[in-house]
Amino acid sequence: MIRVNIVDLKPGMVLAQSVQNHQGVLLLDAGTKITKKNIRIFKSWGVVDVSVKGELNESKTAAETPVAEVKDSVEMELKAKFSDVLDDPVMVEIFNAARKQLMKDLPKN
Amino acid sequence: MKKRIRDPKKIIDRIDDLPTLPRTVLKITELVNDPKSSAKDLAGVITDDQILTARLLKLVNSSFYGLPQRISTVTGAIVLIGFDAIRNLLLTTSVFDLFADRNRKGQQKQEKYWDHSLGCAVGAKVIGNYLRHDNIEELFVAGLLHDIGKIVEMMFQPDEFSKVVAAISRENILMIAAENKILGHNHAEIGKLLAEKWNLPAKLIQIIAHHHQPDVAGSFAMEAAIVHLADIFCRALNMGFGGDNKIPPLDRFAWESLKIQTSGIESIMETMQDEYGDIRSFIS
Repeated sequence: MIRVNIVDLKPGMVLAQSVQNHQGVLLLDAGTKITKKNIRIFKSWGVVDVSVKGELNESKTAAETPVAEVKDSVEMELKAKFSDVLDDPVMVEIFNAARKQLMKDLPKN
Repeated sequence: MKKRIRDPKKIIDRIDDLPTLPRTVLKITELVNDPKSSAKDLAGVITDDQILTARLLKLVNSSFYGLPQRISTVTGAIVLIGFDAIRNLLLTTSVFDLFADRNRKGQQKQEKYWDHSLGCAVGAKVIGNYLRHDNIEELFVAGLLHDIGKIVEMMFQPDEFSKVVAAISRENILMIAAENKILGHNHAEIGKLLAEKWNLPAKLIQIIAHHHQPDVAGSFAMEAAIVHLADIFCRALNMGFGGDNKIPPLDRFAWESLKIQTSGIESIMETMQDEYGDIRSFIS
């Protein structure tokens, strides 16, 4: 467990302790994977730091596998799912939008 | 070989212990539909059930609503989040309960189905918001329940269901195609029968029945089209597992009637991903 300042908090980190505002209202339970919106809410409640799971170096979400490889497999899986429907131009748009979103979630290096 | 039962109605009849909704939820549905009922009437029914009361207060005090002060009474909660939202919230948590814990072996698989349902619910809500639909809460519940027939098949027809699963992995086809081929009926038909048995609103019944063919959903074709599209989006975004690794073909009618611009797809998906993360943390 490590204490992370709100400015260093990244989506995907997992809370080790629940987060409350200064009045004691529960904002988020322990064990929750943090999203961008959660971070926004913490900031708006003036939360300074939170406890997340993991070791100090792990928290940087350094990927074991090279990013390019992960990207390829995400793309391949998505293509396989869409394989029967890509003759529809709207489906091509949906495919492209989904690929963009899924790539955004991958760790950057 | 066992004779195949073609009529899904017979299957529902065969299942004597088909889950029923808790009496409290039925009572609440009734109250919400009655224009003469007050927040006090509704609070009376909810406070009779300690678990529902605890859940409701936990939810209104969670970050999902992000209210500035702590709400400690049921009446306060009702006034703040509204009748429909309360009904849908209670329906949601009760349906989750009904299907939890019954079969520990299948639990992990079941969870993935629920994640898919949750993804579709979030998708329907976000698309509804984008289109400025006037009943977002209902779209959320419709998304959540759209595949309820699959859960019924999995739990009450485990042998037939495993044949469907085998056919999907052998032939890499959509679940609905495998069901039609092997069972002679599909989850949309089973879901419709269950929804009727539960006396759910006509709108929900139609959406569950026609999420693969929204154009035949009559006056609820628009809502069925939204859930149809949400189903495609959440599969594309890897939210849970809908039983197969395919994307269902896009229904022309659905796409054309919703008039979503292609530029809107990206922003809808981005919001879906944000909200999916949030909502999973409070429902589980």
